[in-house]
Amino acid sequence: MTWATVIHVVVSGLATGAIYALMALALVIVYNATRTLNFAQGEMLMISTFVAWAAQRALGLPLVMALVVAVVAGAALGWVVERLVIRRAIGGTHWDVLLITVGLSLILRAVAGLVWTHDEFPFPSFFPSAPVSLGAVRLAPVSLGVLGASLALMAALWALFRFTRLGRAMRAVAQNQRAARLMGISVERVYSTSWMLAAVVGAIAGVLVAPVVFLSSKMGLVVINGFTAAVIGGFGSMPGAVLGGLLLGVLENLAPLYLPSGIRYSVPFVVLIAILVVRPAGLVGRVERRKV
Amino acid sequence: MNVRRAWPLLVVAALAVWPLIAPRYFVFLASVVLVNVVVAIGLNLLTGYTNQMSFGHAGFLAIGAYAAALLTIHAPAIPVVFTLLLAGAITAAVGLAFGVPCLRLGGLYLSMATLAFGFVITEAILNLDTLTKGADGLRVPVARLGPLPLGTDAARYYLTAAVAVLMVAAAVNLVRTRPGRAFLALRESEIAAQASGVPVAAYKAAAFGISAFYTGVAGGLFAFVVGFLSPDAFDVFLSVDFVVMIIVGGLGSVPGSIVGAAVVTVLYDWLAAFQNYRPLIFGAILIGCTLFMPGGIVRVLARR
Amino acid sequence: MRFVASLVISVLTLAVGLPAAAQQGVTDSEIVLGCSNSFSGPLAYTGEQATKFGVDLYFKVVNDAGGINGRKVRTVYYDDGFKPQEAVANTKKLVEQDRVFAVIAPQGTAPVSATLDYLEENKVPLLFPFQGSPITRGRKYVFSGMTLYDRQSKMMIDYLAGQRKLKTFATIYQDDDYGKAFLTGFEKDLGRYNLKLVAAEPVKRGVTDVSAQIAKLRAASPQVTFLVLTPGPGAQALKEQQKIGWTDTIMVSSGPLTDEKYLGLAGEAAGGVEGLSLWPDPLTSDLPGMKAYRDAMVKYFGKNEPNRYSLSGYFAAMLFTEGAKRAGKNLTRESLITALEGVKGFESGILPPLSIGPDHETQKQGFWVRVEKGRFKQLTDWLKSE
Repeated sequence: MTWATVIHVVVSGLATGAIYALMALALVIVYNATRTLNFAQGEMLMISTFVAWAAQRALGLPLVMALVVAVVAGAALGWVVERLVIRRAIGGTHWDVLLITVGLSLILRAVAGLVWTHDEFPFPSFFPSAPVSLGAVRLAPVSLGVLGASLALMAALWALFRFTRLGRAMRAVAQNQRAARLMGISVERVYSTSWMLAAVVGAIAGVLVAPVVFLSSKMGLVVINGFTAAVIGGFGSMPGAVLGGLLLGVLENLAPLYLPSGIRYSVPFVVLIAILVVRPAGLVGRVERRKV
Repeated sequence: MNVRRAWPLLVVAALAVWPLIAPRYFVFLASVVLVNVVVAIGLNLLTGYTNQMSFGHAGFLAIGAYAAALLTIHAPAIPVVFTLLLAGAITAAVGLAFGVPCLRLGGLYLSMATLAFGFVITEAILNLDTLTKGADGLRVPVARLGPLPLGTDAARYYLTAAVAVLMVAAAVNLVRTRPGRAFLALRESEIAAQASGVPVAAYKAAAFGISAFYTGVAGGLFAFVVGFLSPDAFDVFLSVDFVVMIIVGGLGSVPGSIVGAAVVTVLYDWLAAFQNYRPLIFGAILIGCTLFMPGGIVRVLARR
Repeated sequence: MRFVASLVISVLTLAVGLPAAAQQGVTDSEIVLGCSNSFSGPLAYTGEQATKFGVDLYFKVVNDAGGINGRKVRTVYYDDGFKPQEAVANTKKLVEQDRVFAVIAPQGTAPVSATLDYLEENKVPLLFPFQGSPITRGRKYVFSGMTLYDRQSKMMIDYLAGQRKLKTFATIYQDDDYGKAFLTGFEKDLGRYNLKLVAAEPVKRGVTDVSAQIAKLRAASPQVTFLVLTPGPGAQALKEQQKIGWTDTIMVSSGPLTDEKYLGLAGEAAGGVEGLSLWPDPLTSDLPGMKAYRDAMVKYFGKNEPNRYSLSGYFAAMLFTEGAKRAGKNLTRESLITALEGVKGFESGILPPLSIGPDHETQKQGFWVRVEKGRFKQLTDWLKSE
């Protein structure tokens, strides 16, 4: 393979990986607040993307407005889910909430199927796919655009967690809920903001990934990659989620380039096993110490 | 003879006459229920007694199923009882190799890790296609008990029922013994258990291994009852179904596992007729049970 | 006591709905057919279209016209979500509880092959499954539906290497039974022309990026690149081809892929793509059978767009009806098999005159298409695979 090809494939992998990273971040945001895995993250992403698409078709909105619709739909869905269902189960064991999100994912997917059928639909992209040449290297604007947009969103999230009051409250809750509550932080508000924030990140990831994997009731399944990325990075760690996502995207692309067909697809899951066995807390994660 | 002594005999008698009185399909369905009973007990030993939730038991079931199928294909001389034992042992070995490093982590992290484990197993089945036939699927030959082929629904049912009864009896005895009490102590407080001299790490690993063994044996039965294996069979939603069984039935209870497995399996089978509405109904039931029926059916019955 | 109560519940739940006595699916007024299919899971759309909007569509037409020899057809469907164990359970339930006469149009190689032995043992006809792997060959009670993959491969190679004298071929294929069946077929059929595949790149199911595979194929510079994929990844491959500006190859889609769905997904990237088509264009073809199909769709399911999945189910029901009519008033499983084996030159108005022989293969043809202005344009007459 020529260098130009390798660069194209790596950039394409980084773009896919960036979307995985966004999905991983959405999972981690919810995890840090409510200590659970949101199984319905993928289906929430799918619903907000469908709503955006339906609004775009019905009203002839430009794509930017469709993105806004997706974000609003995502936030609303996150809020409703957290308020109506999740909060009622917060007192239970961690798998109570997890099971509820499993039930939600089944329901949301079935509802999408009833409303929009289980068919696949094309989704417009912000970025053109005809290649631009930089010397010998040809790069697709769509890869660069997705990568750029994802990195911008990650930077915004970083700033939110680092510099705002809300971000500090969320970090405090992630570290120690009881202490956070004693310090006067409204943990309930953090719950509901976290669910909304995660749903918004998911909705944006959905709009970015829909032109690639197409819009369908099953598109939520791409979040499995986000989950894998989060485990590789260390569940609960936001830098880990980004690192895991990018690593997974690039590995998935480089392996078919260099490895024989029999073993190439084993690479991501070999990495996953290695992480689980050797460093179960992930690349960046720490093992939590438990106290009495 | 009092009631407590009599009921195991009644159950065994009921199981024995079931194929004689029930229509054929319900013999098959009963076999599936019994397979799920064994899985649910295995999962409940882990979750209900040591407070560690697994979302990867479909992966363990797959290991047991493929192990039993491949043993029957390549070593048809082995009687089915040993095949099942081997399937359980292999699953327990894989489970421990994978589980021990994760057990150091907190309960929730184990859930994540087992979920990932489930994905890893289906990937492995797809990729080891020289052995497993990958996505094409693997036809499972008829199980043999010495010279006797177990080729009918009734024969497979009796095999499953016999194994299930033994596994249930073993579980009932296990939870009454010293290790069983140690498991319960783990559930209440790991640190308190440690302080009382329970070797926590060893018992947690043991619970994980026993759980994997149960599920592996059930996997072997699954292979013979269904007769065809493919990676599509063992997705994460199957793992979730197992969790639902023990939640619906009742955590930390052997009867709860049995009831949960039966109710969920029969419900799921019945809902197949609702086609696209099945996930909708099942999801709603799942949320309803979690919110409004903590402790499961067994708790509801006990309150009456 | 708690335990006893629990057990009673377990036993009772099992006993719910014990069956009423029934015939083998045929009475004087009714024929019961059914299948296990995907109504959830990855192939839910195809499954629903083929059954509820395909098989049922034709039977609605038949029933409203008085049925088959006075018998109305009723269908029963169960969801298997593409899981073989559920397909097994559903099929047993159909045969033992619902007492269906025959299984019609189930979907997918794994779920179908999981039920093959059981149906054969119980002498239940398995009619026109929606899958193309040759696993269905050589069984007395099984009639294949879709043109089998090895026949499709033969037609594709005979046309491209034989008629158009193209020399270098490559393929990007789904890493499962569907892709591998084509891969084996291509290698065998190219061998007859002393040719070989210059590159073959597998794609895993559910993959989101095919840039590496397309890059490797391009490095082999084939004249023809076969796409043996499902609609999503197929469209992704075309978009990736556009992304790297690769123009000097003919992209050719396999029979199951060549449909409007994947064209719609790929958009402008699909321009110039060729392929083997198994069905006439469901929206524009003016064949009499196709018009009747569209009219029926408007009449019974006005909101549902015509497509090749529902068309295939519609056609399966049509073939069953032809067989059952030929079998006459005394409709049994054996007489249906004999009647279907005797179908000669059946005019469907959709496919060319159709004969079913002892090989039980109903479709053996396809024609060549090229995408022009967003639709498949027919380039050849029906190609044969005999």
